[in-house]
Amino acid sequence: MPELPKRKVGLVSCSGEEMAEGSVTRLATLKVLQSLRPQETVTICLPLFLAGGEGDRAFARFYPTIAIDGCEKRCAARGTEMYSSKPAAGIVVSELCPSAPGCLGTARHLNDAGMEVVTKVAEEIARHVDRLLGGTKSGRHGEPGDHSSAVQEKRASAATCSCGSGIPVKVLEIAERSVEVLALPLIFDMFRQSGKAPGAGTTAELMEIVRLYNGIPEEEQASWNEAIQREYAAYYAGEAR
Amino acid sequence: MTRKVLIVPCSGIGKTYGTVARTGAYIVTEDLRPDTTQLVPLARVVLGDDEVRQTLAGAPAIAIDGCKLACAAKVVAESGGALAHALQVLDVFRKHRELKPAGIAELNEGGEKLAAALAGEVVTLIHDMEGQEDA
Repeated sequence: MPELPKRKVGLVSCSGEEMAEGSVTRLATLKVLQSLRPQETVTICLPLFLAGGEGDRAFARFYPTIAIDGCEKRCAARGTEMYSSKPAAGIVVSELCPSAPGCLGTARHLNDAGMEVVTKVAEEIARHVDRLLGGTKSGRHGEPGDHSSAVQEKRASAATCSCGSGIPVKVLEIAERSVEVLALPLIFDMFRQSGKAPGAGTTAELMEIVRLYNGIPEEEQASWNEAIQREYAAYYAGEAR
Repeated sequence: MTRKVLIVPCSGIGKTYGTVARTGAYIVTEDLRPDTTQLVPLARVVLGDDEVRQTLAGAPAIAIDGCKLACAAKVVAESGGALAHALQVLDVFRKHRELKPAGIAELNEGGEKLAAALAGEVVTLIHDMEGQEDA
């Protein structure tokens, strides 16, 4: 049975290569991904929003995202909003841990003070992760929480990088416009393999899961319902051949 | 060559080769060619920062990418930069298979040596560019 990715928190760091604070963002993000909240977080390289495909640009629409920036330019926060969607939270190292130039070391080599700031920023990221996932302690010690019974967790054994994997999308015509429906290919696969035939009941179940990953305007509920029902019927018939 | 050569490494965060790309860029811009090169942070290019766009418009750039997605090369090109060369860490690794990189936050010895080899290739390219401009 295919697995839908669990609702995780996306981390986007600026990685600013020219300043120590940029290295702090990268190392703090890695610390969260690898040790503090490995099951609850995923990352993507900021440039992929521009260089990648639609699936990559869907990142912040799919995951509630924390932007981690080194300085007040806020490249990660602004870039994420510009190309994907507004981050759910933002951290700026130079505001969280103000320090004089050179105090943290260099971009290439952080000193002890720089590594202390890495720890502080990582803890702040983890705090935001817990808040965004409903205030549970789910991420601690790698214990997953049950954020949705319909969505199965895709476990990660190490830092999860989304580079190139993207979020699977399917473009549908809904309410006379083209709409990217996030995760729809995986959702359809899951339902078909569960033996769920097209019908009103199946459509209602499909819509419950589609809503988890997509913001559906109130006035378009009927149009989405109709489009999902139509597309699933076509998909199911095509797979049966 | 009067203009500095811009070195643009990828911002790879989840893979070892991204760290090799970044480390190689530091070796070039800080150790080997500090007076003739300039490191350009990719995040600012992504954002379309005016100052960075002007910098990109005024000098040749060498992009160093850690994976086949080639974010650095693509972003520089899409931002109107003059991409003189686009290097892939994997291509350098193929020439130095004995240097097996490991680590993301911190490279192992093989990774550090691979980054040095990468930096050497970049410096050779810069040398060639300078020769062509002076000719």
